[in-house]
This record gives sequence, structure tokens and C-alpha cells, in this order.
Amino acid sequence: MIEYVCKYAPVELLAGFGEESALCNLSAASLERADQVMHRNLCSFSRALIEHRMDEGEGACPLVLTNCCDSLRRTFDMLCLRGQKAFLLDLPHQDGPCARELYQNELIRFIEEFSAYSGKEFDCGKFRAACGKRPERPGGPYIALMGARMSDELFRYVQENAPLPVVNLMCTGSRRIGEAPFSGDIGGLMKWYAGELLSQTPCMRMTDIASRREQMNDPDIRGIIYNTVSFCDYYSFEYAGMIKELSVPVLKIETDFTVQSAAQLKNRLNAFSENLSLPGAGSGSARARGNAMDTRRFFAGIDSGSTSTNAVILDGERNIVSFSIAPTGVSVEGSAKKVFEEALGKAGLEKAQIERTVSTGYGRTGIRFSSRDITEITCHAKGAYFLNPRVRTVIDIGGQDSKIIRLDESGTVKDFAMNDKCAAGTGRFLEMMAQSLGLTLESMSVCGLDWEEEIVISSMCSVFAQSEVVSLIASGKKLPDIVRGLNTSIASRVIALGGRTGMEGAYMMTGGVAKNTGVVRAMEEKLGAPVLRPEEPELCGALGAALAAWEADMRSK
Amino acid sequence: MQYLPGRGLLPHQRYAAVISNRAIRLPLSNPGKSAVVSAFLPPELLHAMGIVPQFTEGLAGYLNGAGCEHAFVRFAEDRGIPQTYCSYHKVLLGAALSGVLPKPKLVVNTTLACDANNNTFRTLADFWKVPRFTLDVPDRSDPDAVAYVAAQFRELKGFLEEVTGGKLAEEALRAVIRRENRSIRLYRGYFGELSEKYIPNDMTSEMYKIFMTHVLAGTKEAERYFELLLEDARKAAGSGNEIRLLWVHTLPFWQGSMKSILNGGRIQLLCCDMNFDCMAEMDEAAPYEALSRKLLQNTFGGPGVRRTDALLQMAETLRADGVVYFCQWGCKQTLGNAYPAKERLEQAGIPTLILDGDGCDRGNVNDGQMTTRLQAFLEILEAKR
Repeated sequence: MIEYVCKYAPVELLAGFGEESALCNLSAASLERADQVMHRNLCSFSRALIEHRMDEGEGACPLVLTNCCDSLRRTFDMLCLRGQKAFLLDLPHQDGPCARELYQNELIRFIEEFSAYSGKEFDCGKFRAACGKRPERPGGPYIALMGARMSDELFRYVQENAPLPVVNLMCTGSRRIGEAPFSGDIGGLMKWYAGELLSQTPCMRMTDIASRREQMNDPDIRGIIYNTVSFCDYYSFEYAGMIKELSVPVLKIETDFTVQSAAQLKNRLNAFSENLSLPGAGSGSARARGNAMDTRRFFAGIDSGSTSTNAVILDGERNIVSFSIAPTGVSVEGSAKKVFEEALGKAGLEKAQIERTVSTGYGRTGIRFSSRDITEITCHAKGAYFLNPRVRTVIDIGGQDSKIIRLDESGTVKDFAMNDKCAAGTGRFLEMMAQSLGLTLESMSVCGLDWEEEIVISSMCSVFAQSEVVSLIASGKKLPDIVRGLNTSIASRVIALGGRTGMEGAYMMTGGVAKNTGVVRAMEEKLGAPVLRPEEPELCGALGAALAAWEADMRSK
Repeated sequence: MQYLPGRGLLPHQRYAAVISNRAIRLPLSNPGKSAVVSAFLPPELLHAMGIVPQFTEGLAGYLNGAGCEHAFVRFAEDRGIPQTYCSYHKVLLGAALSGVLPKPKLVVNTTLACDANNNTFRTLADFWKVPRFTLDVPDRSDPDAVAYVAAQFRELKGFLEEVTGGKLAEEALRAVIRRENRSIRLYRGYFGELSEKYIPNDMTSEMYKIFMTHVLAGTKEAERYFELLLEDARKAAGSGNEIRLLWVHTLPFWQGSMKSILNGGRIQLLCCDMNFDCMAEMDEAAPYEALSRKLLQNTFGGPGVRRTDALLQMAETLRADGVVYFCQWGCKQTLGNAYPAKERLEQAGIPTLILDGDGCDRGNVNDGQMTTRLQAFLEILEAKR
């Protein structure tokens, strides 16, 4: 078995040696060993690849790489240093007669090198037989998976859970090699083969990428999941350029090739599927507003967040009849039951009077008494739009993550962005900083309003930001100035997150951090526009969930 | 006053400050005659045709000097440029996409020395809607590769003539190459002097040197610079008990804490490896093949060990006490070679510090950590004496 990592790798040529080959796309449980030998700020896929190879040690099968990016060039260097058998093909950045000739010679050189290594003869017949295999495309609508590579595990999850067939158009996908000519010597064959390899839909590493646009214009695409890999910069550029031009829903995700990141991404992938499979779902709440319904039927929404669990009960006319907020304890379902019962008690209702209950938030799947669970992305959008139909951007900052959710004029989620595995720009960040400053969250909310000196908190990591704050205190900086610097830092990070998806007013801030006046002011300064703040911003998710319960009931009639 | 060349500087350093300043200003004041280029683009054809280059690291460094680079970084990031991207490129992109940097006549770049080139220059050409030419530089430097790149240089000549309406005089190109060869000989003479002497240096001057070894290579100004450099070296005192440091990649010239440690005093900042990435003379009779070899033999191309070997050789020539391997934020090819280079250098008895930092974005460093690491490293070198 030979492993390879890139669609420009000479897979058919390996078949000419009678070798089986496989695309290596595994995620890693940890990158500990890779981090011992390589800098952390390299492409995560490279680090996961090194981790696997280090695990396998000398028993690792040979690996065929191309010099497709700086990280993989250096990965090759590292693997060779560690005594692993790896081959590197010098891949041109362009297609054209000169580039094809160069790659032809490179392929011939590789045949000689591999033959010397394996002791095997290259068989033109076997090579020809391996050519001509093209990926199958489903007929009709599909979801395009684009951008940088994704681990096999995550790819399978997307395939299994998407509401439509999925087509792999990522950098390792859409590999197509035509039928090989029946005559010709190795030189002639390799000339043809170099042309086939280089004329594939180009990856972002190639100089001319015009034909990449064509694959986005397929009318059968119903949605795009666009993946980037952390510390691989190529595909963020394509995403930034294309997002303004596309009319189909797009979900942007970033993977770091760890098992943990794949688990976290499932939440977003589910939310995206919900919006694809329920077109116009968000519009129901706006259109139905004011419809006559009786007030003796009730619907509940429960939002199980990392910090608090919230419940909202609506009547059949979608009036909020009660709500409850409590800290999330060790038991997700226990906390949910507690707030649910409190809300019922406040409204003087019995559980049996609730027609439907929808759960949302990180703990949503653990609430067994709910009839359905929906992601908080959909629920915050529903809640915000219900409270004010002018809202086009929801800025939701909760305890452990922050999200920017864009809505269209009917309240449907157009797209969203979320922070990645980092507490910077979240409620937890504020808690940590408040602790360092000896403030309560309430006093921190207003402390930064009377600032005098502009202080920039530059650290991107919460832990380093905390040490930066400690240094500022030690250097005698005033508390309001530091707090204001922190508020601005959060606002900048969250807006930068949304900047990638394009933000437009009206803006509404939801989630617990919206209670912090200083952060809201900083947001308004950065956006140059007012930011709406609901009376109880942390209830927005639960409100959206209750609305979803109400909509489901409407649809069932 | 802090922005004027310091009085304590040597003549070659003062001259470099003035010339580098002008090299940034000229394309800004006459963008219609300028080309935005990558630092590793051999500029000889441009100089022979009177096209003024503007390059990433130089412009970003100047915007940093003006204290406004972080605004451009933020601007670029807000438009989807990844946070993890090289800061020099983010500043250039931010300056262009915000409309601050005027539209040039054309964009020319190489694929050497990093992935950022393709992304940045493609984005810039698309944004400005100006013609772009990319020189594809293979990793190998065999005869096939030489012919491949030489053919591209010939294409570049045609491209420049078509876009500018000018004509490249072959004699003008040969004259540029002759000047560059004279410069290289002077520069080699300087290294000969430096190996035995203490020649005061600072991070800003070392960054200015990148102008002379790259975008201004082959100009009269660069030749004059190397003359002054050698003259200053000849006048310098012999080596004493200074700590001699070789530097990898760009330098955080703006960072107060680093300046207080590295500029002057007992530290001899020898050279950064961008300033000896290609020291071979060129054959003016076959200029396109010569330019091709210049690119292909650059130590920033090919396997990491090529760059490490050049470091090792220079460390031995200049009697370096240690190497600071500066991991510029976002430069994957440099970061990826950090651990193997440290291992190889230390096996050869040269202590090496891997120092993460940012030579361009003051909003992206942890000053305290950097200071502690560098000071501790210097203490180690001191203790070894």
C-alpha cells in the first residue's frame, strides 16, 4: 500500500507498478507527537499526517507527496529526517506546454526512483488499465462540498446527514483522468499523463484558477459547505471572493484535523441541513403574526447553554406567558426540568397543557422530554426576527462561543459564522478578565464607559490576554481604560468573524454578553450603527425554540 | 526626530535609509510606472525598462513605521483574509483593498519563496484589474528547471513590453547584471571583513539591506551602497568580546524591547539570511538563463536543508556565537524548517533560539515572552564563553 495526499499525485502510475494506493485523510486524536517535531502554526492536516506517521514509525507505508504547499514541503523534509520513505513530486503551478514537459520529466524521474526503491518494473498495460476512472455525479440537486480537504470521518458524517446528495469538490476531490492512449512509449504516455493531471480543475495552489468558478455555477447546487483547514490560507481567499456572488446557502466551516473539531462541527452541519430542508421556515413566524389562535394552547422552548438554561412558554398567539433562567448544573436534563417547571409554575400551567416542547443549545440532545431539538443558530434567528423583523444580523455571544447569524428579509438564516475552539470573544473570556480585575460581571458592564486612555489588548488567546491584563494592572493603567480595551477587543474579534460573511443592519445582540453595556457600546462603535438589545437577551434562543414548537404545530394542521 | 536616520549610524546605513525611503516613495508618487512585486522577484528586467518596483515587505515595514499597520491588518481580516496569514502580506492587502495604496501599472511575482505569493498577488491583480505575470519556480534546480524558468523570463520580457508599450534593450539588461555582479563582489568583500570585525548594526539597517539585495539589486544606488558598506567595514575595529548573532528571516525592527537588546551594545547583529539568499554572479551573455539560476539557487527555495546549510556556512564564516531563528507569523515555509534547522545547527555546535514573533504587526506579539526568551538565550551564549 502506498499513501498519497493530493489529486495531482500519480496514482495511476503507482498502479503501473502493481501497487495499491489510498488517499490519506485521517484526523488525529491528538497532535502531541507532531508538535514535538514541527512548529504548531503549520497547516493542521500536515500536523495530523505527521502524527499518524510518527505513530506508525518505521512500519509506515511509503508516502507520495507533491510540493503542493509550504507545510507539505516541510512535512516531506521532516519525514525524510525521521527515516520514513517518502517521495516528493515537483508540481508546476501552472498548466501549459512548458509546465507539462517539466511534469512529464518529473513523472519519468519518479518512475525511475520508485522502480529503484521497489525493485519492480513499470507496466504500461497496468497503467493504462488504471486510467479512465472518473468520479460519478448524482443527477439532480446536490450539496457541494468545497474548499480544502476534510477528514474521512467528517466527510462521511456530512454524507450521512445531509438532506441531499453530497459532491466532493474539495481540493482532493473531483480527480479525473481520461482513458490512456493505446500506443506510445513511456515518454509519450507520461506526456499525455502530465497533461491529464495538470488540466484537472485547479486547486487554489495553481496560478490560474478561472475554471474553479465554473463548478460553482452549476444550477443543481442547492447549498455549499465550504471547508478551510486551520493554518492553510489558500481557501479562505476563495471563500472571501465567492461569498458575495453566490445565491445558494453557504456554510463555512474550519477544521483542524482533530477528532474533537469534527465533533464540534456537527452542530453547525446540522443547523445548515435544517435550513436547507426547511426552506422559508423562518418566514412562517413573520407571515403568521397576528393570525387568530386561541390562548389556551401552549408551547415551550428550552435553551440549554454552557452557562445558563432558559425556558420560555408561549401561548397560541405567541405571547410570552412566562420564562425562567437558571445556571446550567452538572445535569443538563435536570437543569432543563428545573427551568421548565419554574416557567410552568409562573404561568400556573401543568405540563400536560404544553402541546410541544423544542430544545436548543449545546445540551439540546440531552433533554429527552422535548419533542424535537434544533440548533441554537436557527433558534436565535427565529427569536430575534420575532422580536424585531428589521433584524438582518444577530450577534449572539454566549458563555462558550460567539456567532454571527445573517437573516434575509423573511427571517431565514442566510449564513452564519462561529468562533473556533477558542474562548476569545465569548462570555467565558469576560468572566476570566473580570476575575483578573477583581470585578463582578455587573460592575464590569459599566466600568469601561468612563474611559480616558485608548488601550489595545493585542493577545489573540484568552490565556495570554489574561497575562496581558495583569501586566497592564501592574503598569498602573486605570481600570476603566483596561475594561474598555477588553470590550473593544471582543467587539473586534466578533465583528471580524462576521466580516467574512458580510454584515448588514439592523443588528441585534443576543446571549448573556448582550447584558454587558460596555461590549454593546463597543459593538456600536465598531459597526457604526445602533445595536438592538432585547429586554432579556439570553432568552432569545429559548424563545426561538418555543416559536419552532409553535410553527411545527401550525404545519401539522 | 525618531524617524530620521540616527547620527550614530555608519555612512552606508544612513545612505540605505535615504535610498530605501525613496524606493517606497517613488512608486507611490508615480503608480502608473510602478509594478507591485514580491521580494524574491529578480528586478533586473524592471530596472532595465525603468519600471519602479514596490514590494510587500518594504511597504508593510514602512506602514509599520508610520504606526498604522494594524489598521490594515484588521481591514484585510475583515474582508476574509485569514488571521493565520503572513502579516506582511496582510498589510499590503489591507493597504490595497482599502484604496490607500494606489493602483500600479502591473503586478509581477514569483512562486518563490512562499505560498502567500499566489494568493496575495492574484487578489491584488483581480482587485485592481491590472495585468499580472507569475514566474513559476520549481523546487529542483536541474537543467530542465533552468530552461523552464528561463523561458518564463523571456515571456516576462514580452509581457512587460506589451503592458508598458516600452522596449527592453538587451544592453540595458546586461548593464544591470554587470552592476549587480560588481555589487556581489563588494558584498563578498564585506563578509570577509565582517568575519574578523565588529561592525555596529541594527535591525532597521538590516531590513534596509533587503532593499539592496533584492528589489534594488542591479541599480546604481545598490552598487553605491555596497561600496559604502565595504568602506565602513574596512574602517571598523577588530572583533572583541561581542556576542555575534546570525538571524533567520525578517527582523522585528519596530519592537522597542527587541531594539533595546539587539541594537548596539555588546551584540553584533551579523546578518539576516534574506540578505545572503543568493550570492552567485550572473553571466551577462546569457541573461535569461542567469536570472533563472538566480531564482532556482535561492536558499529560500527547495528543501529546507538548503537554507539550513547556507546558515551553517555563514555562521562558520562569520564566527557566529548563535542563531536566532525568527518564526515570522504566517510564514509556513520558515516555521516548518525551524525544528530541523535548530537540530542541525546545534549538532554543529551553534546554539539556536526559535523565536516566535511578528516583524510587521505590533498587535500580534507577546512582548514579555519574546524578551524573556531572547535574554535567556543571550545569557546562555554569555555563559558559554
